[in-house]
Amino acid sequence: MRPRFQIPGLGKAWGARAIFGLLAAFVVAPQAAYGQPRPTSPVGVRLYAIQNARIVTVSGQTIDRGTVIVQNGIIAAVGSNVSVPAGAWVIDGTGKTVYPGLFDALTTLGHGSVAPQQGGFFGGGGPGGAVDDSNHSWGPEDRPGTSSWLTAADDLDAEDDRLHSWRSAGFTTVLSTLPTGLVTGQAAVLNLGSYARPRELVVATPVAMRVNLLDRSFTGYPGSSMGVFAYLKQLYYDGKNYQDVWAAYDANPRGKQRPEWDLALEPVRQQLREGWPVLFPATNRNEVGQAIKTTREMGVTPIVYGAQGAYAAADLLASAGISTLVNLDWPSAPANGDPDAVPALAQLRLYDRAPTTPGILAAAGVKFAFYSGGLSNASDMVSSARRAIAQGLSEADAIRAFTLSPAEIFGVADRLGSIEQGKIANLVVTSGNIFTEGTEIESIFVDGEMFDGSETTAAGPDADGPTSAAGRGGRGGRGGGRSTGPDMEAPPIPMSADKGAFRSDPVTFITGATIMTASHGTIENGDIIIRNGKIAEVGTGLSRPSGARVVDATGKFVTPGIIDAHSHLAAGSINEGSVSVSSMVTIEDVIEPEDNGIYLALAGGVTSMNVLHGSANPIGGGNAVLKLRWGADADDMLIGAHPGIKFALGENTKRDRNPDRYPATRMGVQDVIRQAFLDAQEYMKEHDAYEAGGSQGVAPRRDLKLESLMQILKGDRWVHSHSYRADEILQLIRLADEFGFTIRTFQHVLEGYKVADEIAAHGAGASTFSDWWAYKVEAYDAIPYNAALMADRGVLVSINSDSGEEIRHLNQEAAKTMKWGDMEEEPALRLVTLNPAIQLGIDDQTGSIDEGKDADLVIWEGHPLSMFGKAVQTYVDGMLYFDLEMDLERQAAIADEKGALMEKHGSGEAGGRSSTDRVASPRLSGEDINR
Amino acid sequence: MSYKIISALSALALALGLAAPAAAQTYAIQGGTVHTLSGDPFVGTVVIRDGRILAVGPDVQAPAGAEIVDATGKHVYPGLFDAVSGLGLTEVGAVDVTNDAREQGDFNPHLQAATAIHPATEHIPVARANGITITMAAPQGGSGAIVGQASLIGLDGWTVEEMWIDPGAAMVINYPTLGGGGGRGGGGRGGRGGGTWSEQEERYEAAVVQLDEWMDAGRRYSAAVSAGADLRRDLKMEAMARVVNREIPVLLSADGERNIRNAVLWAKRQEIRYVITGGREGWKIADWLAENDVPMILSGTQSMPAGADASYDEAYANPGRLYAAGVKIAFATFNSADSRTLPYEAAQAVPYGLPAEAALDAITKNAAEMLGLDDRIGTIEEGKLANIIVTDGNPLEIQTNVTDLFILGRSVSTDNKHKSLYDRYRARPSRRVIS
Repeated sequence: MRPRFQIPGLGKAWGARAIFGLLAAFVVAPQAAYGQPRPTSPVGVRLYAIQNARIVTVSGQTIDRGTVIVQNGIIAAVGSNVSVPAGAWVIDGTGKTVYPGLFDALTTLGHGSVAPQQGGFFGGGGPGGAVDDSNHSWGPEDRPGTSSWLTAADDLDAEDDRLHSWRSAGFTTVLSTLPTGLVTGQAAVLNLGSYARPRELVVATPVAMRVNLLDRSFTGYPGSSMGVFAYLKQLYYDGKNYQDVWAAYDANPRGKQRPEWDLALEPVRQQLREGWPVLFPATNRNEVGQAIKTTREMGVTPIVYGAQGAYAAADLLASAGISTLVNLDWPSAPANGDPDAVPALAQLRLYDRAPTTPGILAAAGVKFAFYSGGLSNASDMVSSARRAIAQGLSEADAIRAFTLSPAEIFGVADRLGSIEQGKIANLVVTSGNIFTEGTEIESIFVDGEMFDGSETTAAGPDADGPTSAAGRGGRGGRGGGRSTGPDMEAPPIPMSADKGAFRSDPVTFITGATIMTASHGTIENGDIIIRNGKIAEVGTGLSRPSGARVVDATGKFVTPGIIDAHSHLAAGSINEGSVSVSSMVTIEDVIEPEDNGIYLALAGGVTSMNVLHGSANPIGGGNAVLKLRWGADADDMLIGAHPGIKFALGENTKRDRNPDRYPATRMGVQDVIRQAFLDAQEYMKEHDAYEAGGSQGVAPRRDLKLESLMQILKGDRWVHSHSYRADEILQLIRLADEFGFTIRTFQHVLEGYKVADEIAAHGAGASTFSDWWAYKVEAYDAIPYNAALMADRGVLVSINSDSGEEIRHLNQEAAKTMKWGDMEEEPALRLVTLNPAIQLGIDDQTGSIDEGKDADLVIWEGHPLSMFGKAVQTYVDGMLYFDLEMDLERQAAIADEKGALMEKHGSGEAGGRSSTDRVASPRLSGEDINR
Repeated sequence: MSYKIISALSALALALGLAAPAAAQTYAIQGGTVHTLSGDPFVGTVVIRDGRILAVGPDVQAPAGAEIVDATGKHVYPGLFDAVSGLGLTEVGAVDVTNDAREQGDFNPHLQAATAIHPATEHIPVARANGITITMAAPQGGSGAIVGQASLIGLDGWTVEEMWIDPGAAMVINYPTLGGGGGRGGGGRGGRGGGTWSEQEERYEAAVVQLDEWMDAGRRYSAAVSAGADLRRDLKMEAMARVVNREIPVLLSADGERNIRNAVLWAKRQEIRYVITGGREGWKIADWLAENDVPMILSGTQSMPAGADASYDEAYANPGRLYAAGVKIAFATFNSADSRTLPYEAAQAVPYGLPAEAALDAITKNAAEMLGLDDRIGTIEEGKLANIIVTDGNPLEIQTNVTDLFILGRSVSTDNKHKSLYDRYRARPSRRVIS
């Protein structure tokens, strides 16, 4: 008699399956059952006693010398004074240690050799209907990336060798997940025993929904990381709506139209109702932040997996109370790469510090468990954990992360994870401390059945030690014998201060400068007092406040911080070009605060920028207006500018694509935008009516795409439209007039000079390049006089970069308008300061040197509207973020750190590799169409 | 046949000083500060006749009948030399059929840019308006290719014959790159072209072997012809013979430190005349380049740093560091539409260590010296081709305007497409829509 447990939620899922007869899930011939007992193991024994062993219970005190009784698959008794019942098979545990069976907290065991699911049986099952044969997703209503109804408990592949090898290494339990898709399906806890039928492996299901942020099993939407975030949010909003709609119908079906049954949303509503978590990948601090933010919107609790860079995110995980699964496949330098290549600092730091993550998480009180990631041998997990122990993780916390913690995380700690009376008899008997090199796994108990583990060692041949295991080669692909890997005991290389402000003073006094205010002329020999991040005073002959840091700017120039109205820096993806209307996505979801381009831009005097979606489609996604607070988290760079959205007209939107996508002409571009607004008007009507009716009953479905367009109609979101030709500019103006909104800015707008009157009359701004032209037909009439000519006609004009390099000398680009079009000095300076601030709606905070505004300032050596001007200091919010002298120290410190890191990690061992966890890094590159 | 004719024309052009002599117009530029770049500036006169500089000096008198150009309060400089560009070879970047820079195949030494230069391109007057008067228009190709011949042209002419100074002035060879080549993020993602390091090395070595074979073939052909062998004419081999016999220099592209070093060592082994083009990571081996007298035509001063975590001013400071080490440098845009930004590519280096005078030399006379053209172009000296600009300031500065242009001795307008569109739309009557 084997113990049986309630499996929460399983009945429902099976019900659905039974209705459709989809899966011959458990039709596995008994002959194919895996895990034939080894000849050396006793057969049919149901009662064991392990005597005189050291017992690491994990949940309680370690018993130095005690007995564990295993009866009928459960732990019947444990303690130092337990008597051995008659008829027990007695194992002498003298000198041995008993641990709870190890738990690999994220695997695809039982599914590894199965061909990945391709979108499910109904081709996605979304309300939009079928997906075509090529498995191309045409929009959010197609859901080839979702197979939420699949469960890892189904269709277990008995031929998956890992079911044996994991157990031999001491792993009695795994979380099994399906690998393919964005929402891959339901995770199950499996016990790796020897059963007649694979279904007997299942301990609990569903325990979580697994999410990937990258999936190549289909093309189309979502095609970018920001698209994936929007997709996930929409799926769960739909799940919530589905729940509400059905609840209302079920409560009173009479006289109501029956809601549509939805295969993909059924499990989502079950999840929302029952509260099981989502497995969400995140490697570093920023991705952890994205996971927290996204799952909060989804209305689910995340379990973060990957987490190798979480050494820098322990505070976030702790304060949000998020459980974390750490990938034990530590990253290392790629083997057989360019011997002269020096990886980026961030990568080297990850090599160096990933093994410190578990210790840091433990100290911060974050609940975490270990998983095998890309490791092909389960025994390598214990050796990998030894590196974490060498870097500060206690052995007690390490064994907990292999046993009780994953059990707690997946809600099965009432039945396994520790050695307690009444729990499932999952045990590992070792020849000693499991974390000591050379310790052997002697036997393994799964559900009370004993397996011989003598062929394995827990701490297999590690990178540091000689091969010690009998009968086994070294780590897969890494070769045996001596290794050149890093000394695992060596402490991490100290991190240089490569981010953050160089200094932050409560009061700064800049004196003796030529101050170009951009709002009220130039002040010769002027002074500025910065207090608490704001410009407190500006003028001449100001007296130095006591305690102020004094900056002598004699002979130097001071301007407001440069503002770029069009950048793609610090964006994890740029285009969601898979669809013609992608207003559901936003750059705010994918800001990369560690993009080194931010620092480079600061060195060019830039203090704020508008990060825009690309121009691949007529209606793009939301923008993000950032202050360049280098070193801050993504959300702390956002400055609460008026929300905006990118539109695009002309060649980029209509070019050939595969598969063909409407539109292919400027007629079609306008049509796409008009149809989208017609939809938005209907959406607005529906939502306004609901609100006008006192929000009674089920709220209308929330649609992120239409919501964003509705905001445009209500004036709550500004349109920044990529454009080139005069006719298309007018076309969009007419369309905006038709729908009653005002285009905030035309971007690039290289033929704006031809229709400057019309742009001015509409009330739009224009943000253009200084002198680029002829790179495509619609840029063939571009002229460097564009900015000046539009300004002459009353258009509010800015000059933007659209480039990581150009952003570094926007002062020069502004100066070009003085050559081409004879602009005066102050209006020219405004093109890259006050005017873009107005266009972005941040001119109350920044953009000019006026009392009360943020102290976003640049000190220049040489005239800034000249080729010879050079930023020597850049202040954001009064803090010094760039300084010519301190930059040299910074560079030297980075060089030293990299040198030390390369010394330690540079020579990649044979077979080494960078992170193999393809889902842990949610990066997708969108189409690179910007200009 | 075409080669012979072109050669003959070249020879004639050299004999006459320029391809198609302009009307025998004489100009005297008077009253301006003359920056000859061969000596100290002075206020004086430059006399131009028959395409050449007839006289220059503080006390030179205008000849009778000369058209007087009053440069009082202005500056007179040699015309700017965009040492390598695509001028005339492309019109609209995104439209393939307007591009004539890139031929198929890896071995096209006999092709000449001049064949395809479009004298009526809108790009040339645009470049000219900012002082660019001459360029080496160069074909483009892939890594490891012998691409073809760059043509030295003056930026004025109804026909290409009126423009060219030397249609076969240099050979373009793209030295094969090994590994990431110092590109941004190089080393982080497995290097360009991918594969393991040994695979990359293998590909690189094969490319070098191929280059060597082409060079050796040129030598064998040249030797056979000299020995009087009765051979069918081989146009490619004739072109290679000019390279191996050091008749023309090679524009040898290389950007990353390792690739520059490899390219230089290869050029030395081949005993060719050469200039390194690109040179972005030259600063890393500046002393070595100086010791080896390696001339460099630089590109991309206004670029983001190549290396991960490199100093923000890595590209800005590269020219100054090379100059300080004693390397001879010039600048080029390697572009067509953006050729007018040549002075800024040089000026960007000035706040980062390159003396302003050196920056000016590097967009006028240095490339001429490197390419063996300094007997004809580069400075304002008697007998040189009259490529001269008159400005209201330092050409390195954005706000400086070019007021007068002389190219191959002809007075050329600064009008261009941009100016005429500006004039036209500036005059657009205010909005006429009747609402």
